[in-house]
Amino acid sequence: MLPFTWHKVLFLFLWISPHVLLGVLVVVFCKRRLYREFPCFLAYVLFEIAEFILMFTLYIFALYSVLSATANQYAYAYYATLMFSLVLRFGVINEVSKDLFRESQFLKVAARRSLQCITGLLLAMGVALAVYAPGDISVKWVAGASVVTRGAALVQCGLLLTLLLFSRFLGLTWRRPAFGITLGLGVLTSVNLAIYALRAEFTNRVGAAFLNFLATGTYLVCVSIWIGYLLAPEPQPASLAVVPHDEVETWNTELQHLLRD
Amino acid sequence: MIAAWTLVAVAFFALAILVYVAIRSRTRLVDLEKAVQAFRSLDIEAFRNLLDSAEEAFLRDNLSPKKFREIKRQRAWAALIYAWEAGRAATALAKIGQAAQRSSDPKIAASGVQVAESAFRLRLQTVRACPHLLTEILLPDLQSRSLPPLVDQYERAAETLFRLGRFSSIERRS
Repeated sequence: MLPFTWHKVLFLFLWISPHVLLGVLVVVFCKRRLYREFPCFLAYVLFEIAEFILMFTLYIFALYSVLSATANQYAYAYYATLMFSLVLRFGVINEVSKDLFRESQFLKVAARRSLQCITGLLLAMGVALAVYAPGDISVKWVAGASVVTRGAALVQCGLLLTLLLFSRFLGLTWRRPAFGITLGLGVLTSVNLAIYALRAEFTNRVGAAFLNFLATGTYLVCVSIWIGYLLAPEPQPASLAVVPHDEVETWNTELQHLLRD
Repeated sequence: MIAAWTLVAVAFFALAILVYVAIRSRTRLVDLEKAVQAFRSLDIEAFRNLLDSAEEAFLRDNLSPKKFREIKRQRAWAALIYAWEAGRAATALAKIGQAAQRSSDPKIAASGVQVAESAFRLRLQTVRACPHLLTEILLPDLQSRSLPPLVDQYERAAETLFRLGRFSSIERRS
């Protein structure tokens, strides 16, 4: 048995606990039948749990040298699952944007067109970043994967931020689950963006360990946000403030003045 | 290395915005009166005058080039403030419309849809108008291009708000 140091215990706690919470999230999600509106998010959560089981098994095997599992195999599996996870995240962003613009026919067309333009712009930035700042990783395929993950994080972070700013700017009302998903994913992608950028530059052991702590800690925060917003009751729809009757008449008259016949 | 630190800065800036939006996203009472006051505060005739191309042509013909540039800058700046305020009023109106959409009264709900759609259109038109007006401030000698039909949209939005106010007052009376 290998000795457990405090940082190993902390690392294992930060790695395991979000995935246990994801299991709770799936139960809450299914109870509230939210899978009908956010099927991609459910698929993403289930994939994250499956990915954790695979990676944790490989980690244990590599740690105790069982079935000749190596650190290299772990790295291959890590990047392969990460790529799939990134694709699913795009699906989740598409789902929350559809939910945000659900009530307006006009916005479904106009805002989605703007979002497409912004996606194009962010993609161009991601490609430029890959070309001009490829990072300092010696292993070729890891360098390639790192460039892709960094670019994807940039695009996703930008899209989620745009959605949140759009909603404030246009006065759009979020539903609680969609807002929670967006906020959690936004926190995750923004911190991931910083982590992927630093990982490409700082390849030493201490730096990598610190970034791992940061990544797993952020994931725990993100899952807690999702669960918090899912468990919180949906707020009462905002009601129109009661205006005294005589005042209603006054402003009706004022508005009639405003409208030139 | 610079790129990495730039990305870290971008990421933390994004995180700060996310936290700000999360804190500010508390549900607030949608105040119909405030939205009406926002609409009332704009002098629509003055706004129309500021965007009138005939008025601009008259000024161009009758003022010295230097004076014209000065006046045009001031007009464009005033129009920009008007457009900004109209945009803010549109945001308030959109919230009213969405709240009304959830009303149990089908008339108010239908009117709410119209109010919200009208508000979204107005908001986007104010956004399109702002770069036009900024260009006019920076380059007053340029011939003004036609602005989006901002004033017409503003009036349409006000009309839908009026209709919603009428339904709401009827509902409260009954």
